[in-house]
Amino acid sequence: MMLDKLVDRTYYWVDEKARNTSLAFARRLSRRNFLSRLGVFLAGAASFPLLPVARSFAQDSVQEVGDPQSCDYWRYCAMSGTLCSCCGGSYTSCPPGSQPSPITWVGTCRNPVDGRDYLMSYNDCCGKAVCSRCGCHNTEGDKPVYFNSNSNTVLWCFGTEDTSYHCTVSLVLGAADD
Amino acid sequence: MRRLSMGKCFSRLTLAIASLSLMSAVSAQITPEEISVETMPEPGANWFISKTNNGAYIFDAESGEMQGLLSLSRRSPAVTAYSPRQEFYAAESYMAREVRGERTDLVAVYDFDNLSPVAEVIIPNHMARLQVRRHLGLMNNGRHLAVLNMNPGHSVSIVDVEDRVFIYEVSTPGCAVIMPVAQSDFLQVCGDGTLQLIQLDLSGFEENRVRSEIFFDVIEDAVFDRATPSADGWILVTHAGVIFEVSTDDDEINIEDGWNLVQEGEENWRPGGEEFITAHEDYGLLYVLMHQGEIDTHHEPGEEVWVYDMATQNRIFRLELEGTAQSVMVTQEINPKLILNGADGGIDVYDAVSFKHERHIVTPGASHFEDF
Repeated sequence: MMLDKLVDRTYYWVDEKARNTSLAFARRLSRRNFLSRLGVFLAGAASFPLLPVARSFAQDSVQEVGDPQSCDYWRYCAMSGTLCSCCGGSYTSCPPGSQPSPITWVGTCRNPVDGRDYLMSYNDCCGKAVCSRCGCHNTEGDKPVYFNSNSNTVLWCFGTEDTSYHCTVSLVLGAADD
Repeated sequence: MRRLSMGKCFSRLTLAIASLSLMSAVSAQITPEEISVETMPEPGANWFISKTNNGAYIFDAESGEMQGLLSLSRRSPAVTAYSPRQEFYAAESYMAREVRGERTDLVAVYDFDNLSPVAEVIIPNHMARLQVRRHLGLMNNGRHLAVLNMNPGHSVSIVDVEDRVFIYEVSTPGCAVIMPVAQSDFLQVCGDGTLQLIQLDLSGFEENRVRSEIFFDVIEDAVFDRATPSADGWILVTHAGVIFEVSTDDDEINIEDGWNLVQEGEENWRPGGEEFITAHEDYGLLYVLMHQGEIDTHHEPGEEVWVYDMATQNRIFRLELEGTAQSVMVTQEINPKLILNGADGGIDVYDAVSFKHERHIVTPGASHFEDF
């Protein structure tokens, strides 16, 4: 019983202190001054390290080396299909008029520039005839169709209006060692 | 203009009339030809199907002659034959405007006589659409056909090909491959390292589902999604070359201890290709395409065919290929033929017992072969 009273009084004391402090600030500071200080606080907060997940996406773009129209390009280690970079797109963009599939298979490729492993997403571009240029079939970490998240044999034109296969792009999702 | 005498003119006219008379006499002896259409003879020994991306080419391995073509959609996984009804069954997928427009997945029935479509059964538009032989399986009762789906979760469409009706779609998360066993059951390989047995009732609906114990690790050494039937079950192989013989006894799944294709000192040899494993069921002979390579080279074409006696698990022959091959099939005849596709197209036929090369057939490259 005594403990409950003590806790209630403590809460009351905290509330009262917070209320008084807020009122004191309100009396002493103009609204413009408050906004300027809030701005300084937010700018300062931005300089603090972000959470690890955000940091992996916030880092500078990945340094590239090699020919994106070659199957030996580092991003294509688990690629199977034809390269969109040979078909009017790039390694991150689908060719004009094709539809990017939101559902993908993944792989892990090592970038020779920085020696880091990157988590790759291989998205099929769909809705057009197959672009029969720059065929590429690499099988690093490839698994059978029953383990489909790591299977490059699968046609990944799911969730698109038209489900014919056109070509494939390779996006960096993040560094695998983060 | 040069002028002709009356005599010369008469003699030339006579010559022209004589020539015309001779020509009409010759043409009167030839009956104008009329176009005709062949019908298929009874399938002979060692006939086989070469499945390409636009159809099923039917060949006689004894003569190397083509017998006819089943026109199939580019997205057809496989075709299978059922001799008692003299019919072929193929899973196909079409889009109204070739690469766009409304999609229609179906099972088409073709007759033996004309290789023509005689029926269609519409199925859900979930077919995996990969050229993989075990994405289609006719149950041993000859009635229920299973088609593998991926949307992207795995499921199986069951079709009654006798009554020409779609039965239903069985959800099979994490499991693929269709390996018919018993009368109306099929086995699947699953990503958690197990086998799944689906048992159908007389109507084709799922009656029972059983999971085996874990017998492989998909990360360390995955079992291929390519399998071949044996005399009493199926033969599976891992990327590193470990063979597992599996069978069922009602609702029990039996998995024999694994044994390795690769002997000491041969660790750089691996199985691989497309449909790279085949067995002669009566003779108990296993044929596997092998190549030299590192881990994750499981789609590389084979440089050699390694032949094993399944009873003793001993290798009895290494057939060195002139080039490389992606797919292999042995016919189930008394004098079987080994059919191989070359990496550069065409088909090579070997005697499957003496391993002598018999012929090369010039034809479009095949994804796999089917015996019938």
